[in-house]
Amino acid sequence: MFNFLKQVGDYAKETVQAAKFIGQGLSVTFDHMQRRPVTVQYPYEKLIPSERYRGRIHYEFDKCISCEVCVRVCPINLPIVDWEFDKETKKKKLNHYSIDFGVCIFCGNCVEYCPTNCLSMTEEYELATYDRHELNYDSVALGRLPYKVTQDPMVTPIREFAYLPKGVVDGHDLPAGAQRAGQRPEAIAAQSSPDDTDTSD
Amino acid sequence: MNSGIDLQGSFIQTLTEFGLPQDVARALWIPLPMVLVVIGAVVGVLVTVWLERKVSAAAQQRIGPEFAGPLGVLQPVADGLKLVFKEDVTPNKSDPWLFTLGPILVVIPVILSYLIVPFGQNLLITDLNVGIFLWIALSSIAPIGLLMSGYSSNNKYSLLGGLRAAAQSISYEIPLALAVLAVVMMSNSLSTIDIVEQQSGYGILGWNIWRQPVGFLIFWIAALAECERLPFDLPEAEEELVAGYQTEYSGMRFALFYVGSYINLVLSALIVAILYLGGWEFPIPLDQLAGWLGVSETTPWLQMLTASLGIIMTILKAYVLVFLAVLLRWTLPRVRIDQLLNLGWKFLLPVALVNLLLTAGLKLVFPVAFGG
Amino acid sequence: MNLAEDVQLISFGLLGVLMIAAALGVVLLDQIVYSAFLLGGVFLCMSGLYVLLNADFVAAAQILVYVGAVNVLILFAIMLVNKQETFKPVGNRWLRQGATALVCVGLFALLSTMVLATPWVVDTTVVLTSTVVQIGKHFFSDYLLPFELASVLLLMAMVGAIILARRDFIPEKMATDTQDALTLPERPRELTGTVSDR
Repeated sequence: MFNFLKQVGDYAKETVQAAKFIGQGLSVTFDHMQRRPVTVQYPYEKLIPSERYRGRIHYEFDKCISCEVCVRVCPINLPIVDWEFDKETKKKKLNHYSIDFGVCIFCGNCVEYCPTNCLSMTEEYELATYDRHELNYDSVALGRLPYKVTQDPMVTPIREFAYLPKGVVDGHDLPAGAQRAGQRPEAIAAQSSPDDTDTSD
Repeated sequence: MNSGIDLQGSFIQTLTEFGLPQDVARALWIPLPMVLVVIGAVVGVLVTVWLERKVSAAAQQRIGPEFAGPLGVLQPVADGLKLVFKEDVTPNKSDPWLFTLGPILVVIPVILSYLIVPFGQNLLITDLNVGIFLWIALSSIAPIGLLMSGYSSNNKYSLLGGLRAAAQSISYEIPLALAVLAVVMMSNSLSTIDIVEQQSGYGILGWNIWRQPVGFLIFWIAALAECERLPFDLPEAEEELVAGYQTEYSGMRFALFYVGSYINLVLSALIVAILYLGGWEFPIPLDQLAGWLGVSETTPWLQMLTASLGIIMTILKAYVLVFLAVLLRWTLPRVRIDQLLNLGWKFLLPVALVNLLLTAGLKLVFPVAFGG
Repeated sequence: MNLAEDVQLISFGLLGVLMIAAALGVVLLDQIVYSAFLLGGVFLCMSGLYVLLNADFVAAAQILVYVGAVNVLILFAIMLVNKQETFKPVGNRWLRQGATALVCVGLFALLSTMVLATPWVVDTTVVLTSTVVQIGKHFFSDYLLPFELASVLLLMAMVGAIILARRDFIPEKMATDTQDALTLPERPRELTGTVSDR
């Protein structure tokens, strides 16, 4: 009999506890309602990509020496380097260079290893097309510079998480002089320049 | 309690004064409240859809519909128009008759249940003697429609979803009915008008929620399960069953399911407001207030005021409950089918029975407070 | 003419025709699912007739019990065991059908002669009090015994159903020796008592 009563009591206690937890959950959900939406209204507002954003690859035709390092470091040997050996000058002559961004995974290995720095990452990510073959960029298309978000008059730039002050998670309605967390590169350079005697290079 | 405004009487009287026979006047009156209630139900659905989307967005720190009309209020209309113009596909090897009849059978009982929802002393279609019992009976037709659509879709997900939906609504009907029974026991009547009247007189203190807190919770949980709202939406659990019995539906037939589920939600909220939150009663007893201020109960402007306030209060209470349902939707994860049936049969049913027994006992001991 | 009487007459005719058509469909249709759904239609029409007889509570109870529970259970049973199976045509089928039709027509004739022969007394008194109260009073006064018997019967059915459903208590001694090594261990179909007897 007491055992049964104890069981009933335990069950009731568990029920009350479950109800309490549901109440806590409800209060959390309710609390979220008064917070500002984090929505970025995309075509009208855009996030500023971070400094190390790995977007579409930019390529400078004139700098390229057709060494094919980019092809070798690419996980799938994606870049196509079309060169021929010019017997008169005894140098490689580059005809075409192209990367298919429908296949590229934007790992940035080619940029990392390019000996002449003719490859670089841009902050362009709007690559949508109607035909996947249009994603196969040739050297001219690769040489175009993307439009900066901050300079587009149609777009309100919103700072990304990396550019926000400490403790702020939303890029909307920032005060005018709000700086990002930590020091800016200039400050770090100014700080380290007096005593960089122990440089190893 | 005064009788308030008698719209039917005055309408018929006006028409007979124009020289129409009494019968014709009455026949002209009959469709009016029905059309009004159907329109009200559909508008209520639009409002609920908008509210659900906005509240969901707010709970997830999104904005929600914004561009269709101010604050996106026209978004449900746009959705509805889209569904009207969408191609109505009947899947191959399905049963076209049952496939069409299913959604209709789901929607019609829900709309019929608006018969008994009072918005004021005389502001309802019919004051039936069986009132709230009719609602319970009508809501038990819906599983047939669900089974029908699940069976006729010729799709295993649909069939499983239909079976689940039917099992769920059958098992939650019982605690629902028991919770209603406790309320009915206190008001000595199945009529919704009597149930509200029994709660009137003391303002917010007289509402049934103070006398039936357990019943209120049981009823609300069971009503959510009947409406297949989120903690209990496993008949259409996306991860397991695609969309349950709605999988093969599109266009207007899908719209019927959609509208039906939202009308059902609003209806359940209205019924909770009537059973436990005092229906059209204002939190302060208006009649007594008028008495203290020295205004007669039969003053026309006072009656107009109480009637319109009654409608507003009923709808307001219902929408507060809808809001709560949306919040619950984003708070609680979906239960499994065994948890659902355990909750229904092993928890809600015994608790509802104990609640009924306690109510009966309390009614014998304190006939003043619990309806003599 | 009185509007209410007209409406009553028309709805009675409609309900009657619908009900007969649905009932014939239940019997005559080949596909069993249609029969089950039409059975629901018959129950609905019946509750409509109850409404016409001023028995609103019985009408609602009819929908709740027959449509909401019995018919749904039938549908459940059909849908869970429905194997799309074409049966072999039975020889001399017309004989069986003829015999069935004969019996049915005979029953119908008997009943209709009974209906026509009985001098019915029409009760014109209109009961205005709540039907629920009257039913309750009858249940607890002159119909007390049948009411209680019915509830005991239902209780027995419920207990039986629970016993049938609660097969999941596993016997202490699992019959491992009889099982194949490659099959999944399955709960024995019998109750504990019969297993221990073996």
